[in-house]
Amino acid sequence: MDPQSTIVLGKAIGAGLAMIGAAGGGIGIGLSVGGAVMAMGRNPDHTATIQTNMILGVAFAEAVAIYALVVSLIILFVLS
Amino acid sequence: MNSFWNGKRRFVALLMFLAGVFVALRVPPVIPFIQLPGENFPAGFNVPFTDIRLTNTFVGSVIVWILLLLFVVYVSRRRPKDGNEVPTGGFYYLFEVLFEGLMGFVGGIAGGRHFRLIFNMFMTIFLVVLLANWMELIPGVDTIGFIHAHTKEKYDAQTGEYKVITTDGYEIYQGFLGISYVNGQCDWISPADEAAADQAALVAAEMAALNAEQELEVKAAYARYQAEHDDHSEGDQAEAAGGGHGDDHGEAAGESDQVADAYNEPLAAREAEKSARADRGCYTGVGPAPWADDGAEDAQADDKKRDIPLHPDPRSEEAKLVPWVVLPFVRVPSTDLNMTLTLALISFVMIQYIGFKALGIGYLTKFFNFGTLFKSPLGGIDVAVGLLELIGDFAKILSFSFRLLGNIFAGSILLFVMSFLVPILPWPFFILEFFVGVIQALVFALLTAIFMNLATISHHHDDEHDHADAH
Repeated sequence: MDPQSTIVLGKAIGAGLAMIGAAGGGIGIGLSVGGAVMAMGRNPDHTATIQTNMILGVAFAEAVAIYALVVSLIILFVLS
Repeated sequence: MNSFWNGKRRFVALLMFLAGVFVALRVPPVIPFIQLPGENFPAGFNVPFTDIRLTNTFVGSVIVWILLLLFVVYVSRRRPKDGNEVPTGGFYYLFEVLFEGLMGFVGGIAGGRHFRLIFNMFMTIFLVVLLANWMELIPGVDTIGFIHAHTKEKYDAQTGEYKVITTDGYEIYQGFLGISYVNGQCDWISPADEAAADQAALVAAEMAALNAEQELEVKAAYARYQAEHDDHSEGDQAEAAGGGHGDDHGEAAGESDQVADAYNEPLAAREAEKSARADRGCYTGVGPAPWADDGAEDAQADDKKRDIPLHPDPRSEEAKLVPWVVLPFVRVPSTDLNMTLTLALISFVMIQYIGFKALGIGYLTKFFNFGTLFKSPLGGIDVAVGLLELIGDFAKILSFSFRLLGNIFAGSILLFVMSFLVPILPWPFFILEFFVGVIQALVFALLTAIFMNLATISHHHDDEHDHADAH
C-alpha cells in the first residue's frame, strides 16, 4: 500500500475510534433528560428550575462528547 | 415596497426552489476543502497598519460586531423615552419580548445583589454568540471567496531550501457570467502523477505480455511432451505429426492474439480512465508544470519555479497546472478557536472578578482552604477540594471554548456535506442548525451566569446573608 493511502486509512480509523467517546455523552444526556421529564411530570410547578438544571447537566454531558468530536476533527483536518 | 412586504409571497419560495434546481443541474457540486484554523487571505490583505494577515474568521467577527452595534443603535433609538410613550416597530417588539423573557429567566437563576452585572454579561455573550452562530445560515458565507492556488512552500532538509509543492485541490473553470469556480468533480492530478500513471500502465502491459508469452511457452512444451508421450504409447507417428503440424499453424495465430490482448488490456484500462475523466468535463493530460524540472540550476529558473505556481491568473493557461481551492471571504467566527477561546477567557475573568467583588480577598479561600487544616481531623479533605476546584475553574476555559467550537464547526461541516449530497433540499439541516445556534448561545451565556452566581456565594456560614439574598 502506498504511504498516502496508509495515512488516509489511519486517519479514518482514528477519527472513527475517537467518536466512540460520544456514546458516553449520549447516555448521559438521555439519563438526565429522562430524569428531568419524570420530575416535571411529578411536580409540574417546578418545571422552570428542573429545566434549568437539566440544560446545565446536558451541557456538561455534551461537553465530553464534543471533546471526542474535536479530537476526531483534529485528526481528520489538522493532522497531515 | 410596503405592499410587496405585506402580501402573500409564496412565489418567492417557488422562485428560490427553481433557482436551487437550476444551480444543482448547472453547476457541479464542489467538495468542500475543510480546514480547522481560520484561513489567511492572500498577500496584500493585511489588518490595516500592521503586517498581520487577515483571516476570514476575523472578517466574520468584525461583521458580527458591526451588526451588534447597529442593533444597539436601533434599539436605543426605538426605546420609549418615558413611560407614556408607546414603542413602535415589529422588530423592537420582538427584541423586548426576548429581553424580558431572558431577564426573567436569569432572574430566576441569579437574581440577587449582582443581578445587573450578571445579566449584562449574560445578554452580551448571548447576542454575540447567537449572531456568530447564525452567520453559517447565510448563503454565500463559507462558499463565496477567492479562488486560491493550493500550493505551499515546504522546507527541504536535504538541500536546505524551500520548494513549492502542490497539495490536493480541484481544477478551475469559467462558469455562468464568467465567474470562476472550482470543479468538485475534477480533483487535480499533477502532471508528474499523470506521467507516472501512463508509465505504470505501460509497464503493466509489458509485464502482462511477458507473462502471456511464458504461459504459452510452458503450454507448448507440455503439449510437445504429451505428444512425445503419446507417440511412445501409441507408436502411430505419422498421424500424430500430421495432426500436430496442422494444429501448430492455428495455435500460432491464436498465441499472438493472446499476447496482444494481454498487452492491450492495461493500456485500454488507462485510456478508459482518462476518457471517463474527460466525460465528467475535466481537463485531460495537463502539460508539464513550469516548476517540474528539478534539475534547473540557474537563479532565474529558480525564481520562475517559485513565482508561477503561487499567484497565477485564474483565467490563464498556467492555471490548469495548479490545483485550486475556494478561500471564503467570510467564515463563521465560532469555527475559529481564537474567537471561542477569547470569549471563554472573558467569561473566566468575569467569574473571578465578580467573586472578588462579592467576597473580597476571602474569595481565595474557595481554592486555598487551609483554615480547617489543623482544626479538624478532616481538614485535609477541604484542602484537596479547594485544589480540585482550582483545576475545575481552569477546565471551564477548555470546556467553554471547545463546546462552542465543536458544535458550530461540526454544524457547518454538516451543512457543507448535506448541500453536497442533496443540492436542492438541505433546508431541514438549516433548521437544525438554527436551533443548535440558539441552544449553544444560550448554554454559553447561561453557564457564565450560573458560574458567576456561584462565585458570589460564600462557603462560610458567616456570609450566609449573601446566600439568603441570592434566593
